[in-house]
Amino acid sequence: MTDQQAAVETRLRKSKKPFYFNTSEHLLRVGRETAANLSELLESLRHCPADSVFQHTFRTLQEHHFIRRGFSNDFAHWALSACNEPALAERLASVDVREFTSLEDLRQSLVRVLQDYGEHNPEAALRKAEEPFYFCAADIVVLPTSFVPDTLPGFADGLRRVSIHSIHHHFIEARLRLKLMSNDFSQWLLEEMYLPDAARAVNHIDIYTVTMENVRQQIVGIVERALQ
Amino acid sequence: MKPPQETIAPQTNPPTNGQASALAPAASARVGTEQRQSIRDFRIPPAPTPPAHMDDYRSIIGQANLDALRFLARDLKGKTIKMVNSTAVGGGVAEMLNRLVPMLTELEVPTHWEVITGGNDFFEVTKAFHNALQGSDYQLTKHVEEVFLMYNEQNMHRMQFGEDLVVIHDPQPAALVRSRADSGSHWVWRCHIDLSHPNPQVWNFLRSYIEQYDAAIFSSQSFSRQLPIPQYLFYPCIDPLSEKNKELDDSTVQAVCDEFGIDRSRPIVTQVSRFDRAKDPVGVIQAFKLAKKYVDCQLVMAGGGANDDPEGAAVLQEVKAAAGDDPDIIILDLPPWCALEINALQRASTLVVQKSIKEGFGLTVTEALWKGKPTIAAAVGGIPNQIIHKHTGILVHSVEGCAYQIRYLLTHADFARRLGENGREHVKENFLMTTNVKRWLLLFRILSGSRAAPLP
Repeated sequence: MTDQQAAVETRLRKSKKPFYFNTSEHLLRVGRETAANLSELLESLRHCPADSVFQHTFRTLQEHHFIRRGFSNDFAHWALSACNEPALAERLASVDVREFTSLEDLRQSLVRVLQDYGEHNPEAALRKAEEPFYFCAADIVVLPTSFVPDTLPGFADGLRRVSIHSIHHHFIEARLRLKLMSNDFSQWLLEEMYLPDAARAVNHIDIYTVTMENVRQQIVGIVERALQ
Repeated sequence: MKPPQETIAPQTNPPTNGQASALAPAASARVGTEQRQSIRDFRIPPAPTPPAHMDDYRSIIGQANLDALRFLARDLKGKTIKMVNSTAVGGGVAEMLNRLVPMLTELEVPTHWEVITGGNDFFEVTKAFHNALQGSDYQLTKHVEEVFLMYNEQNMHRMQFGEDLVVIHDPQPAALVRSRADSGSHWVWRCHIDLSHPNPQVWNFLRSYIEQYDAAIFSSQSFSRQLPIPQYLFYPCIDPLSEKNKELDDSTVQAVCDEFGIDRSRPIVTQVSRFDRAKDPVGVIQAFKLAKKYVDCQLVMAGGGANDDPEGAAVLQEVKAAAGDDPDIIILDLPPWCALEINALQRASTLVVQKSIKEGFGLTVTEALWKGKPTIAAAVGGIPNQIIHKHTGILVHSVEGCAYQIRYLLTHADFARRLGENGREHVKENFLMTTNVKRWLLLFRILSGSRAAPLP
């Protein structure tokens, strides 16, 4: 089969299961825990509900999807802006949500960073922050969209037209649902379109150095290349 | 039998306070009448503008986000909402309800708005409550409690609560929740005021009623209290299609600048706020004078409140004294209906400053960010929710810090532009009226137990 024939076949291939583009909307709920210093942050982080961990990591990325660099999670932001602890902020910011398929594992990773920093910097741990950290949580409502493609061109069209929230839902939040180090887009490209290279390339996009709009463009670019 | 209810028809324009007063901008108007004819006369209240429809927001939030609102509303179709507050005109709550009510209704979630009634004694008590809840000293007496409860009781008998969701705004009508036993509705208390340091007596009195609601909503995390009911965060918002925020063509911006003698060929630094010491207008002038030693710029101080508030008039005099005879400081005391002029001034600005000492949410910051303006603001009230330092704007803590950041942003255009772009996206994501509509629909669905269907 020539490259041209392969491209035509890819373009015409119909999936057994269409890709259901959904989107998730969140309502911000104020939690019971607050922290006035790093020691209290550690203690509250140990005990706060899992949906608070979700809010301050996964969800905050969606809320700040337009920031290209330097924003990772609310704990890192607070460590820098309210506690003036840049070294801690850097370490917290390096905790990559995409390496976790469970919120408990993510919580433990953040706790380890805070605990280690507190042990080596006991004065910093007890120093009063400029403003408290308020733990929040997200109540989530998942909604359908009108995009349900069963071909690769339809998939590319959906990618271009859904909201950024939908991209985040399928690309970032999906791993908590799938319990896989992957995302809905890669899974569909692999399992329904038999495109392992494209699936892998999508999964390797770095979300921390670009905006979510740019992530969308990169995914569209990978899909368009698969169509050529 | 209860008397028929009066439902408020949302207005199509912010209310005005009657006739135009004789106002003159502090800066001399340097152009003739023929040039001023290109825009309306700002001394006269404008005619009401027709209300926007949901489809009008498509170009701003995109089809996908508009679809999400319609999907959210679909499962609520036929259910009804009642909003209750204490005033139909004036103030941020009435302004917000004027837009929110028709938008929810257009999404086929019929929403009614009613205003409680009361005598002067009631509103004196609620004004005192308002101040006490924001931290003022106050002695709560049995008589005061009785006045508060008596008028709430009267309104309970006057109103009916057959809607599926009843939203009570602020403390004044909070005790209406005693009607909920008969209604079978979901009841929500929407608090628009800063409860971070409430007078304990007044808060404890009010708290016994708040705890009877299904949920409470606050405008900032720091305003919330420890309560046994869920507390949600709804940020205040702006309407991108209002006179204050809609897109303007350059000729309108130019005409407003001409009207007020502002030179657009030179950098313009602007603070928009009423003449109030909490906004630190004198501090802004000090910062401007420090910055101007190194960078060429003009300062526009656009505000109001000096005509109907003795303290505002005194502050305006202080501002004029601080400005001295500097021709680059342009002080504008504008009437409350000058939304279009404020819009144009913000759009003409190179930088916007909001150097408040105390602030609620700071909607003038939201307006500036929406216009993509690099913004320098004090880290007080709700401003840090809007300005993520060095990402969506710059937070400052002193006159000197403000002066330095004015110099820096005026000489680092790329960084300033990036702040402006991020600021606009931040507002688009979190602080637009459409986001507010989405929050109400989400809350209604969550309270109704009507979450989305499981994933396919």
